[in-house]
Amino acid sequence: MEKIKTLLEQFETEYVEDYKKIWIKTKLSSSNDLLAVAAALKKEGLRSLSTVSPTDFPEREVMELNYFFEDLRTKRNLWLKCDIPRALEQCEIESLTPLFPSASWHEREAYSMFGVRFLNHPDLRPIIVSEDFVGKTPFRKDFDWEKHEKDVTNNIQMIVDAFKNEQANNEINLDSESSETVLNWGPTHPASGPIRLRIHTDGEDVISVDPDIGYVWRALEYLVTKKDFVGAIVAVERLCFMDNINSMVGYSMAVEEIAGTKITPFAKWMRVLLGETARMSSHFMGLGGFFNNLGLHTLFMWNMDIREYFLDFLESYSGARIATAAIEPGGVRYGLDMTMLDELQKALNKFDNGIDDIYTIFVKNPTMKMRSYDVGILSTEEVEIYGLSGIVARGSGVETDIRIDEPYAAYDEVDMKYITQKDGSAYDRFVMLFEELKQSVKIIKQAKKRIEDGVASGEFNPTKDHMVKVPKKLPKGEAISRVEWARGEVLMHLVTEEKAKSPYRLKLRAPSFNHTMMLDHLLKGQTLSDIPLVFCSLYFCQGYLDR
Amino acid sequence: METLIQAFIFPGLLYVLLWTVGLFWFFRKFMAPLHKRVGPYFNGPAGSYQTLFDLSKLLTKESITPHGVNPYLFSMMPLLAVITAMLPAAFIPWTEHLPVVVTSYGLLALIVLIGIEPFLLFLTGFGSNNKYSFLGGIRVLTQAISMETAFFLAALSPALLFGTMNLSIIVEQSSWLSFLILLPGFLLYFIALLGLLEQPPFNIPDAEQEIVYGFYTEYSGTNYFLLKLAEFAEFMAVFAGAVTLFLGGYKGILFDGYTFLFIKMLLIAVVMMTIRAATPRITLKQMLSFSWRYLVPISLLNVAWIMMAKILFFGGV
Repeated sequence: MEKIKTLLEQFETEYVEDYKKIWIKTKLSSSNDLLAVAAALKKEGLRSLSTVSPTDFPEREVMELNYFFEDLRTKRNLWLKCDIPRALEQCEIESLTPLFPSASWHEREAYSMFGVRFLNHPDLRPIIVSEDFVGKTPFRKDFDWEKHEKDVTNNIQMIVDAFKNEQANNEINLDSESSETVLNWGPTHPASGPIRLRIHTDGEDVISVDPDIGYVWRALEYLVTKKDFVGAIVAVERLCFMDNINSMVGYSMAVEEIAGTKITPFAKWMRVLLGETARMSSHFMGLGGFFNNLGLHTLFMWNMDIREYFLDFLESYSGARIATAAIEPGGVRYGLDMTMLDELQKALNKFDNGIDDIYTIFVKNPTMKMRSYDVGILSTEEVEIYGLSGIVARGSGVETDIRIDEPYAAYDEVDMKYITQKDGSAYDRFVMLFEELKQSVKIIKQAKKRIEDGVASGEFNPTKDHMVKVPKKLPKGEAISRVEWARGEVLMHLVTEEKAKSPYRLKLRAPSFNHTMMLDHLLKGQTLSDIPLVFCSLYFCQGYLDR
Repeated sequence: METLIQAFIFPGLLYVLLWTVGLFWFFRKFMAPLHKRVGPYFNGPAGSYQTLFDLSKLLTKESITPHGVNPYLFSMMPLLAVITAMLPAAFIPWTEHLPVVVTSYGLLALIVLIGIEPFLLFLTGFGSNNKYSFLGGIRVLTQAISMETAFFLAALSPALLFGTMNLSIIVEQSSWLSFLILLPGFLLYFIALLGLLEQPPFNIPDAEQEIVYGFYTEYSGTNYFLLKLAEFAEFMAVFAGAVTLFLGGYKGILFDGYTFLFIKMLLIAVVMMTIRAATPRITLKQMLSFSWRYLVPISLLNVAWIMMAKILFFGGV
């Protein structure tokens, strides 16, 4: 940490301060220094750029850019800010993509949403937004959404025309002598979900893959600014239903930090308990989906059978199985009736009974191993420079897990270790999912026991301790929070104004974004059969990809 | 009159239809507990009408012909596929008195008719003017060429052993001894059958996660119904072929008859479904290397083994 500080002293900064335990927060006086600072940071070992988050301040005529650098090895992180002019013509800055490949799509996103032009970016095309939004910078504060929505027929016509035009010219643009063609893998494809991969193929061989995302773009980052701090959780949880609890935990932590609220130990343990349940519900889908993509649906069905019991617990607690809205700033939404834990015990028993069969039949399946042990291989090096996280990073042997690196909720009291695999192939990521299921069950058992003991000894009051009041109006402030979401690291950057009733800006950093970036790299030179396998082994969620 | 009954009732059209409906339902109902599901439940006893309703629904739906295809090729192929798939039934000795066509080249007719089918399916993919269908068609062809070599070599082994291509005689001469001698041939036939019928782990041509539905992609309504009918008629031909060639056909334990042939066919279906419920798909490259590196050489070895066994146990006659 000191090294980074001395490094920053060489440049003109407005301030350099410690933030949380493993962060340094700083602001550059001049945006011209950015490239030099980034190069120095990379040399120092901060090799992953987590995300680029612009914040729009129309009154000050300033676009504030936030860069989040991470070092996955030594867990040192840097939050770097710098201002650039807001006017569209001057709104430009040097691109960091040549230094940090992980920045590529994040800069494209900032370009599409805020109109920030990144100089020397190798591929600065709009991303996520549909054709009718191209060049319109929808996330700027002065964008007129109502006017845009009024012209809905024209907007749709634009999208349709652009698509038809692209399809008509697909093969014309290619070399007419070659047997190369463009294959649309999605958005309505049995295995793709709402994402489209433009696959250039020569027969069965893949030449290149260009993902086209944004089919489920709901502008959630804008939507939360129209809601109050509690109402925003329904937008935040709709990032991805599979593990909605942990995304709400991340958001609530950011709000609590700005409000200065400390939540009760009981609420912390409840967050662990619910969070791990949701993680399991996601991992069950991931495991089953992996085999689905190999054309075998049995594991998916078996997993759904077990998963239902965990959803029963979520239902008994929150009244909803999937979209639970169970976490709120200040704690958890409901008190705990101790009989609900019986539902959980049923689920745990079901899990213990079924998991050995799944291991013998599916994890050790020779055909699956034969197909997946040598495709989609990611090295430790690539994990760092592309900023990958979650099971993808741990599958390659990188020890990163926010629950341990930067413990939130009650994870500092939980007994857990990093789970990693060595080779980083699709098979290793599958095994990671399976091992993490077992780890989650261990954590759930610990949390359950802790809550039961706490209630028995009178330390926790399950009907009153779940919530601490958070003021409706928040002071001016800024916070980031990181959580280990089922599919990787989620970083939320929350900005509030004076006496704010709703968030001024909420940046949601999606792990799936970085993982999808890897598709082209991993699939080049493979065959069509490997696409679904690699695609699902990266374990991303289209909802979170588009937001 | 007899010919009419044979053409339209048994073993002709009605029989094939009933077999399709019944086997479809059986597949669903058998897969369900392996998946920890219930399967068809509401319509009829144990959901047995469900398939009937599904098929009649397909018949009444609009049959869409996409733009830019040759409509004759597009609509003719499913029909040809059904007819080709149903024809082998005429050569199978269902009972002692019932191969419809009595010929001493029954085996040849059987394997030729089974061998034509993939080319028709390739043409459906070729004629669909769709990249996925075309890839599916190419895959059907690749797989058929690699799998049929082993399939034919395995199917020839009883002919070599008994010295005849007459299916009725093959059944008559079969015994427990010949069953044991032909066992390796049967296993090879079964593996090649999985490839030929596009069943897991060789369901590469209609791998839905890769190429949507392969050559089926553009088909709907009646045409799709016909293709499905062809698929199940093909199941019947290949299963019945296996039973006739290797498992003693209609021969039973206490009495002979069609019942035993049917039970043996169902047994093959059960094994096929169990493999389907437990094995993921392999890739095209893996299939090719499996077929040419292992399956075909072993089939040749099997032919050598049959010749040797013939000399050892049957005195070389």
